[in-house]
Amino acid sequence: MIETLEAAPDEIYDIELEHSLLEANAKLARDNRALLDGHGVKAVDFMGAIGSGKTTLITRLVEKLRGGFGVAVFNGDATTSDDADDIAEQGVPVVQIATVNGCHLDANLVGKALRKIPLEDLDLLFIENIGNLICPAEFPLGSKARVVVVSVTEGPYMVRKHPHMFLGAAVVVINKIDLAEAMDVSVERLADDVHKLKPDIRVIPTSCKTGAGLDEVVAALLAV
Amino acid sequence: MHELSIASAIVEKILEFVEEKQIMKVVEVRLAVGELSCVEAEQLRFCISSITKETPMEDSTLEIEKIDAEVVCPHCSYAGRPKYWDDLLSSGPIPTLQCPECGKAAKPSQGQDCAIKTIKYVA
Repeated sequence: MIETLEAAPDEIYDIELEHSLLEANAKLARDNRALLDGHGVKAVDFMGAIGSGKTTLITRLVEKLRGGFGVAVFNGDATTSDDADDIAEQGVPVVQIATVNGCHLDANLVGKALRKIPLEDLDLLFIENIGNLICPAEFPLGSKARVVVVSVTEGPYMVRKHPHMFLGAAVVVINKIDLAEAMDVSVERLADDVHKLKPDIRVIPTSCKTGAGLDEVVAALLAV
Repeated sequence: MHELSIASAIVEKILEFVEEKQIMKVVEVRLAVGELSCVEAEQLRFCISSITKETPMEDSTLEIEKIDAEVVCPHCSYAGRPKYWDDLLSSGPIPTLQCPECGKAAKPSQGQDCAIKTIKYVA
């Protein structure tokens, strides 16, 4: 026999929980940040769509920086270690963070990865998030600044289609500018769209193929 | 789909409370979802209903209150609703961090969080 439970109004309790759901991650992110700051390590996280060139950009930046700075890379990927393998060829510590079914890195995963690298030998940590432009935005990881990578091959409306991603970013890299003409995409208009969302974002057009703009990205990251 | 992560966090928190207080049935859950939190209310609703089957939360009413975005401008001291970008490609206007008064960069002051406000239950 099935009994249905109907509570009389005076049996219903109403309580205030005021529990923030993003706070648990935000707290872990602050812990990560404190650990990094304590070792004098500046972390920068990179977000962008699959194929925007995040891994190639990070590899080029590591090439330029590894002579003068201690650099490490965290590479978030759902399943493979292909990207991590590419970056590891640079001879710097790389941790592959496999999220399996998760669509974003979170502060807890990054915190675990922080225990696997020699923080005392490092100056810079690059964190490559999962290639996904919607989910990672609200999960801070503890980095000092966020870089969003968009490429001209993603078409002219990339920025306005994913506005949330840009609101928390300090630097936007518009990548693959060597293909802009072939794609008939205006780099200036993408940059205008970014500035409409957030006027103080630094926008840097780059090509990892020709090397254009990479020194400017290095300078911007050292300055954040 | 980050709504599933958020939904799991909501359900986990409430079921923890249910166990602690020996609650028989949750009647209503009220959430506050900020306009800048990128949490999509309908997806969240779907995720929560999917993962609460055969729990004391099953069939509870879910009220989702939208918290408006607000910004403050460090340049001209403006405080209030953000400037919106009316974009034909998007389903609705997009909040921006461009100050509606002076056009420089404003900072978000409200609407970034996603929280459980209250729950109603039968003890």
